[in-house]
Amino acid sequence: MKSLEILENRTGSDWTNLRAARLTSDRERVELTEALDAFSNADTSIVVVGSMARQEFTPGSDVDWTLLLDGISRPQDDQLARDIRQVLEAIKKKQPGREGVFGTLVSSHDLIHRIGGEADTNANTTRRILLLLESIAIGRPDAHNRVLNNLLYRYLEEDRGLWFGSNQSKVPRFLFNDVSRYWRTMAVDFAYKQRSRPDGGFLLRNTKLRMSRKLLFLTGMLTCFDCHTRFDDQLARSEFYKTKPVQAVIDRLRSVLSQPPLEILALSLLAYNSFDDSIKKLFTAYDEFVGMLADDTLLPNGWTKREHLDRLAVEQTEGDTVASEARDISHRFRDAIGELFLTKDTELGRLTLEYGVF
Amino acid sequence: MRHVGFSSGAIAYGDFMGALATLRDTRFQCLELSALRISELDPLIDALPHLDLSAYSYISFHAPSSFSKDEEAWVADKLYADVPKNWPIVIHPDTIFEFKHWSRFGERLAIENMDRRKPIGRTACELQQIFDILPSASLCFDIGHARQCDASMTEAFLILSEFSKRLVQVHISEVNSASQHDAISHGAKLAFQQVAGLIPEWVPIIIESRVRSAQIPDEAVRAIEALTPVHAQ
Repeated sequence: MKSLEILENRTGSDWTNLRAARLTSDRERVELTEALDAFSNADTSIVVVGSMARQEFTPGSDVDWTLLLDGISRPQDDQLARDIRQVLEAIKKKQPGREGVFGTLVSSHDLIHRIGGEADTNANTTRRILLLLESIAIGRPDAHNRVLNNLLYRYLEEDRGLWFGSNQSKVPRFLFNDVSRYWRTMAVDFAYKQRSRPDGGFLLRNTKLRMSRKLLFLTGMLTCFDCHTRFDDQLARSEFYKTKPVQAVIDRLRSVLSQPPLEILALSLLAYNSFDDSIKKLFTAYDEFVGMLADDTLLPNGWTKREHLDRLAVEQTEGDTVASEARDISHRFRDAIGELFLTKDTELGRLTLEYGVF
Repeated sequence: MRHVGFSSGAIAYGDFMGALATLRDTRFQCLELSALRISELDPLIDALPHLDLSAYSYISFHAPSSFSKDEEAWVADKLYADVPKNWPIVIHPDTIFEFKHWSRFGERLAIENMDRRKPIGRTACELQQIFDILPSASLCFDIGHARQCDASMTEAFLILSEFSKRLVQVHISEVNSASQHDAISHGAKLAFQQVAGLIPEWVPIIIESRVRSAQIPDEAVRAIEALTPVHAQ
């Protein structure tokens, strides 16, 4: 978390909750690695996405895992997935949500070959984008690494505009559009879940959408922008792209994506000293969001803040102090993002306006 | 123009005399004499002074792919003393127990990148760990192994970029999911072409595809095509 720590010092901030979540995430990862030691091999990786991969794990977080298969299909693989679930239950880990997107087998074939079109289901898109933007391997990473490289290969190799387009901006649109699409899909699914799950969870989902889901989109966007911004000048950029060095770009993107989203964001903002007030506002809001989810203090109703957000009915949110606190945090986060990215005064802002809207 | 040739083990596994006889009528400039099984080592080394290898401008020697810790010093001594000094000696890094036996070879020793069954030597990072211990060693780049480890060819790109100065020869074949060396398929050719531009023309190409005698000329053509860089279009 090098860049984040630099920004914390530079802006005179105290992002204690982010530091605590990083430590918790690391501890959880070690525990999972020990518990699931025997379940991965050269052809299968246990992939965890979500808060643990983002290094934002808090005591109420789910362990969103999949058993990623990238090799010969074996009938026993299904049993492996069931056994992983049992192991996680035995060590008291909260299992993935009810949609069935995680906690199961996933084939690399679907992830790599079904991008767009009828066969690209909501679950497939979710798994693919989260694998790219916020995933870690528990145990052997061979399959995880291969699938990430092959996924990026598809996005990049087929992006004619990146290699041969007349636009001087070098942003991989195929990848960027898929990340953007997923962001909108999450927003639409929020409305879908509001309808299909009237029993609760509205406020927690809403807060996550405004914070961690938005962060995911932001870092996906910044990762794509890195293809353009990492060059000193246009000459160096043109020189690099003229030979279509797909593998070199994959390597660079893998290097960026090997860091958690907050670090990607921090690294992108390091150069913008004149925006330090907005940078402080952004990360402070996120720190408070993580702190809210981690807070185990009981409210008068006997719930933690997280439980309160999860259980409060949608019609009770008006005037609720916890709901109001969550809303305030998310508004400060939104405003800071606007100050940093919706401006023509910076390269990041220019690219956001060029690519992020139309 | 690429300089190509075959591995004797690919032409006739365990029968170097048979392989040389098969290759006699071809015009390949390169050859790799292979003693993949330790039982082949003595007979091959004993035969070296008597073999007619005058047709070849480049020859390498593939060390056994498996030996015990007790045999290691003997294998290393044998290779060091009895294989001509200007022949690269290709070795699988996972066979090494004690690096002290191999450091004296210097650049004569060509570390081969491994297939995905092996626990080490598969990626640029893993190879770096070996070159840290054997800093003068060369690289035998097995493009089929690299593709088997990563079909996007990113790992191949990293290996060729980071160790370009160590590159002494290339192994080429299709490496299937069981890690067997097959004839180069169209899919493999397309993948190999992605990084072919990183392999200089002078680097000897050793074909490891297990093909029948009649298929040798076609496989050589496929290998050359597979190592023809694709240009941006």
